[in-house]
Amino acid sequence: MAQALFLLIVLIVGWFLYNNMVTRLAAGNTSSGGALNWDFLNGTAGFGISEGPTFRPEESYGRAYLVGVANTLRVGIVGVILATILGLFAGIARVSNNWLLSRLALVYVEIFRSTPLLVQLLFWYVGVIAALPAIQDAADLAGVGYLTNRGMYLTWPYITASGQQWNWWLLAGVVLGVLVGWIRKRQLERSGRLGSGWLAGIVTFAAVALVGFFVVYSTASLPANTAYEIRRGDRGTLFADENGNGAFEPDVDRTLAYVPIVLFDADGQELAVGATEGDGTFRFTDLPAEAMTLTWDTPAPIAISEPERQGFNFRGGLSLTPEFAALLLALVVYTGAFIAEIVRAGINAVNKGQWEASRALGLGTGATLRMVVLPQALRVMIPPLTSQYLNLVKNSSLAIAVGYPDLFNVSRTIVNQTGAEVQGILLVMATYLTFSLITSLFMNWYNKRVALVER
Amino acid sequence: MATDLQPTTWVNTNHPAPARKPPASEVGVLGWLRANLFSGIGNSILTIVTLIALYFIVTGLARWAINAFWEPIWVNRKVFAVGLYPAEQMWQPAAVLLMVSLLFGLSAGRWGNIMRNLGIGLGALLVLLAVIPIGLPAQMVMAASVGLLLGGYLLGQRVAISSTWLAVAWILSLPVTFILLTGGINLPSLGITWSFAPLVENNLWGGLMLTMLLAVVGIALSFPLGVALALGRRSNLPVIKYFSIGYIEFIRGVPLITLLFMGMTLLPLFLPSNWGNPSQLMRAMVAITLFSAAYLAENVRGGLQAIPKGQYEAADALGLSGFDSLRFIILPQALTKVIPAIVGQFIGLFKDTSLASLVGLLELVAVGKSVIQQPEWLGVPGGVAKEVYVFIAIVFFIFSYGMSFASRKLESKLGFGKR
Repeated sequence: MAQALFLLIVLIVGWFLYNNMVTRLAAGNTSSGGALNWDFLNGTAGFGISEGPTFRPEESYGRAYLVGVANTLRVGIVGVILATILGLFAGIARVSNNWLLSRLALVYVEIFRSTPLLVQLLFWYVGVIAALPAIQDAADLAGVGYLTNRGMYLTWPYITASGQQWNWWLLAGVVLGVLVGWIRKRQLERSGRLGSGWLAGIVTFAAVALVGFFVVYSTASLPANTAYEIRRGDRGTLFADENGNGAFEPDVDRTLAYVPIVLFDADGQELAVGATEGDGTFRFTDLPAEAMTLTWDTPAPIAISEPERQGFNFRGGLSLTPEFAALLLALVVYTGAFIAEIVRAGINAVNKGQWEASRALGLGTGATLRMVVLPQALRVMIPPLTSQYLNLVKNSSLAIAVGYPDLFNVSRTIVNQTGAEVQGILLVMATYLTFSLITSLFMNWYNKRVALVER
Repeated sequence: MATDLQPTTWVNTNHPAPARKPPASEVGVLGWLRANLFSGIGNSILTIVTLIALYFIVTGLARWAINAFWEPIWVNRKVFAVGLYPAEQMWQPAAVLLMVSLLFGLSAGRWGNIMRNLGIGLGALLVLLAVIPIGLPAQMVMAASVGLLLGGYLLGQRVAISSTWLAVAWILSLPVTFILLTGGINLPSLGITWSFAPLVENNLWGGLMLTMLLAVVGIALSFPLGVALALGRRSNLPVIKYFSIGYIEFIRGVPLITLLFMGMTLLPLFLPSNWGNPSQLMRAMVAITLFSAAYLAENVRGGLQAIPKGQYEAADALGLSGFDSLRFIILPQALTKVIPAIVGQFIGLFKDTSLASLVGLLELVAVGKSVIQQPEWLGVPGGVAKEVYVFIAIVFFIFSYGMSFASRKLESKLGFGKR
């Protein structure tokens, strides 16, 4: 009876709210344009997205949103990994016997837990990163890359156009590595020795990858239909001409990344040597605007791309935008402080006798921590750790404060252009709920795996 | 012969040597240093490396703090405190502060525990503000608040004030705060307009005052909803149970900022068009309350689960109805148990109110953003962003850390977490 009444009230309130919304939408006294449908997702976006998977303004709103989702996942996954590492070290430092170190860790935890993430994010973005040197006098990180107020440019290895086959070798290496690691672990367990077999797995993976590298290097070649296009004299694209019409069509043709190229003028005189970028483009400066031809070489499966200054920007290498760097830094430092407390509580939850027993067996502090204490502490740590990971992903929505194009920021742009307020909010909420669900499921599975097996 | 049998008292004249003092390297400062910093080679290296790192951090920070340009914060201290609130009506926020100080004093005297700890923190802050030359009227208000806090404390200790009345006073303080800050009651949609001072639109409220108000409203208004959801989640009636679970998990699964944007853009849509559009502040408050209720419900559920089953059975045995057993037996115990958790949630919410700056409310962070962009500071090399954000961080830190410290003190006193 009570339930029926409750259900009735919920339905009436829900109907009241929905009815108001429909009336107001129809009256058009808001920015939303009337009916609730999802057609707007197919419309042409007309705006660019500065980072993440390549996105062109002529693509649809739906794809723009997916690019936003990818950007959220990018900052979320990297953030979770780095925050875990930072939190683990800070948490261990918190329980260290060294008074100074444990106090220092305590100060870190208290400062960053007690101030809002948004203030930290704005501080990193406006206060720290914007205060870095300008592009012209970029701070040189001794060959690793450059640090500027427009972002960080790192020397980075990339898989080249001829490295696609190598991906299969890498995959085979992972599968074989896991298999060998598992066999080794079983073998070690049966013979009663310490160890987990991961070393054998990694060696196997490295061996397969190395063999694959040389096999691919010696056999790979660029597609026979490789063609190039030069625009404006000094820049162009190298691509596999899938339909053989000689013109570069981004929807059909596959671009060729990191291919070494040599540029000749009409008389066969060598003009410049270089390589294509990750998107298959190449660019030379100070060249005569006349007919030029291009030759190319088959690249190694991996190319080390170094950032190079060109005018007022850098080309090549891995570039991290200030927005991404600030958001990542803020999320990692903030969440790391919470994880440190979880790690501390987890380690303290392990019975002191475990430390003493391990000491009595002759294990050192590091080995005790790694093989005795942390595996037991992990059981206590997993549920709160899960909620911290979820918080990190949810907090990445603060990206809108610095202009990083995460899913929420992109959704606001879409809503502002189409007026689809209700749908935009629903879409974002559904996406975050999906993330929560997937993370919870994974962590629950992991929790079961490490839980004590009782009779 | 008898002499042989005479009992002789045996006295050990062979006194043992007086105990030697422990070696100087094991006690005192040296001993402490050895035990805590230099107990081994590895530990010693760690200490030295940490000391070097600490030296660079501390000197770097000190150098920056001395050379930093703090003037924008000093010049804008009123905006940081109350936003754009009219200067000639500052007595209204002052009256709110005096009222809250008195209530804090009375509660600290009457209830002690966490209220006492929080009251001490509030008192220290007020004394500090009364001493710093922020302006004579403001300093006098601070001094008067300290007086009311102390007076209230002594009164609360001596006189047995009814707990119920004190709780009612706290509940009433919220609408009174709104009336005082508005300068009356202004609800044109209900046709009520009454004022004792020129009305102050709530889009002029801002700064720390607004930050505090949002957090307090978020916790206070979410209380009934949160308790209801917690009870609903433990209910035997599936409809109510799954409705509660659905609500709690939905809210906890999405970021606060999506709820704030929903409040800003969709809330007016859900209301009948003849109600008009609620103000920005109201929309943000609805969003924060709905958000906070889900988290509060989970905290209260923790308290409910900690009540032994025997308590329910005993209440049944006494013939109490379900509602009476909740009201007199279960909830008082459960809510007392979760006070530290609710303080923790309040701290979290206090920090989260900074997100309101993204939807156009002039709370602390938004004030900071506008101060950074004031034309007076354009000539400052490097801008004043660092100084402003560090100041805001310090303000948040003082309140958050103060509250968590007070709450932890209570936990250690009650023996939580020491099993």
